[in-house]
Amino acid sequence: MSNSVFSVISRFVEEYRSSTPNKLKMIDAYLLYILLTGVFQFLYCVLVGTFPFNSFLSGFISCVGSFILAVCLRIQINPQNKRDFQTVSPERAFADFLFAHTILHLVVVNFVG
Amino acid sequence: MFLVVLCVVFIQCQVNIYSAFYSFIPVSNDTRDLLLATVSEDSTASQIHQSVSALSALGLPLASQEVVSALKALHVLIIILALLTASRLSQQAELGDILEEIEDLAARLDDLGGVYLQFEEGLEATALFVSAAYSLSDHVDMEPPLKEDQVIQLVNSIFSKKSWDSLSEAFSVASAAASLSNNHFHVPVIVSAQGPAAVSHSHPFLRLQVTDVLCQPLSSASVLAESASAVSSKSAVLSQALFTLRDGVFELNFMASQPASGYYQFSVAIAGDSRFVANHVELKVKVSTRVAINNMDLSVVDKDQSIGPKTTRVEYPTKAKASFMADGHQNFAMTFQLVDETTGVELTPHQTFVRLHNQKTGQEVVFVAEPDSKNLYKFELDTAERKTEFDSISGTYALYLMVGDATLENPILWNVADVVLKFLDEEAPGTIQAKTLYVPKPEIPHLFREPEKKPPTAVSNTFTALVLSPFLLLLILWFKLGANISNFTLSPSTILFHIGHAATLGLMYVYWTHLNMFQTLKYLAIIGSLTFLAGNRMLAQKAVKRYTHQ
Repeated sequence: MSNSVFSVISRFVEEYRSSTPNKLKMIDAYLLYILLTGVFQFLYCVLVGTFPFNSFLSGFISCVGSFILAVCLRIQINPQNKRDFQTVSPERAFADFLFAHTILHLVVVNFVG
Repeated sequence: MFLVVLCVVFIQCQVNIYSAFYSFIPVSNDTRDLLLATVSEDSTASQIHQSVSALSALGLPLASQEVVSALKALHVLIIILALLTASRLSQQAELGDILEEIEDLAARLDDLGGVYLQFEEGLEATALFVSAAYSLSDHVDMEPPLKEDQVIQLVNSIFSKKSWDSLSEAFSVASAAASLSNNHFHVPVIVSAQGPAAVSHSHPFLRLQVTDVLCQPLSSASVLAESASAVSSKSAVLSQALFTLRDGVFELNFMASQPASGYYQFSVAIAGDSRFVANHVELKVKVSTRVAINNMDLSVVDKDQSIGPKTTRVEYPTKAKASFMADGHQNFAMTFQLVDETTGVELTPHQTFVRLHNQKTGQEVVFVAEPDSKNLYKFELDTAERKTEFDSISGTYALYLMVGDATLENPILWNVADVVLKFLDEEAPGTIQAKTLYVPKPEIPHLFREPEKKPPTAVSNTFTALVLSPFLLLLILWFKLGANISNFTLSPSTILFHIGHAATLGLMYVYWTHLNMFQTLKYLAIIGSLTFLAGNRMLAQKAVKRYTHQ
């Protein structure tokens, strides 16, 4: 059982390394970074306490929001999805990403206190 | 007065003549005030007419509502004067129309709360109306169309004042009183008790004064107590008892029917003359009695009931010779009965208090003695239970019994015995303080909100480092993946875009530290639009480059 899981995982990693374009790998690295940041914030809250609850919420929502926006960017940039996004060029996707981030950060900074 | 009339007439004629020739006539303030003053309730109708026409021809303002009420008052007064005049005319004259005016005028009376009936023009008009109506009715020998409760309400209104504004008002009241006492049709009867309406064994007679409106006693009346019933139990005590007349006062020996003490509701009827009005009255009579205390037994009972109680009987008004001792193991008990002195019936007065007074410290504690189902009063003092009332101060307390009630003629304050109470010494306060109720209370300082407990700085710093560490990981990964900025074109739009983007991030930081939302939005609008334009151009250039490369 574990053998098959291990082989599936190693196969997946191999495929990922070979067939994913570099740009997407960079976005994936960014996603990992955001994920880790969110996890560490949550860990702090669980271990130490929720004292400035608004700060925790704003930080956590910033991570979640950024993750989602980055995923959207990755989907829109991926050349394999070109059929679904005829009207959206990669530049347009990036511009949308930046604009949405501006609004997200406005809200997050307002709430962090 | 005559001069005023002359002035007003003169002014009016002048005004009428002048207004035919001139459109504007100068009027002095005095003239205007004179004209306005004439419009009052004391003027005659012709005076009112003249001054009103002068005022309106001169174009001066009028108080129209005042004029209307002055005219209405005139109307009532005219009818009353007509009635009075008609009562002196020969009986052969046709007075039927004038007689009808009584009914019309009676319809104009105002009913105030079902108690008072009067004209809105005031007391004088009401009183004059009553005397006019009755004198005319007597003259033509026809009953006036006033119902019994209307007559009662008129009597209430006319005789409600104890002092009058003017001689004419006093005269009208006197004339109304005379006509109500002496006419052929309605004579209101006034019934009042002589002194307080109370009887007792020493004063067994209930005395009533029965008079007419002028306080003349009605000797021809026969006064009958139709029923008397106890207020508390509603049981009838008396029925159809006749009052006897003695020295102008009607009296009845109520104690002969042996009523128990308390309050009784009497219903009295006065007969003897068909003219009597308001001849059924309700009266509340108090029956007082003297109280005696029987079987006052004092005892000290052991709590665990091992030793039998020692009972001492004390007779009123003596004091028990020995003092009683009670500490935490014993209860002090007192039982007694309260009876009516003459009849021996058990009583339950309103106030039966037991007062313990510490002569040394001046403390006093009051308890209530309650009767049980057999009307036996009991009082028990448990020293352990009641130590808070006594502040645990041991000592000799004088015991008083206080009995009082509205129907008791002899309220009692009896020092029955001395009681020595022993409390546990360690609970007694060091100094005995008088209970200060009216001194300023201790000030309550405001407690500011305590800041919440924060975790130690070391922990916070550790976690800050931990949270920022993935950024390092990101840089490492990007470096390993080969991220570079080799495609960076140094065109103005690119530079501007990057500057604008950096400025946005800087604005976010400044927003966090200094600004509020409105200021931030203002700056963001400026920076954002610049960044947008530059970014748009830059991305367009990039897109073009991508298309040409493909």
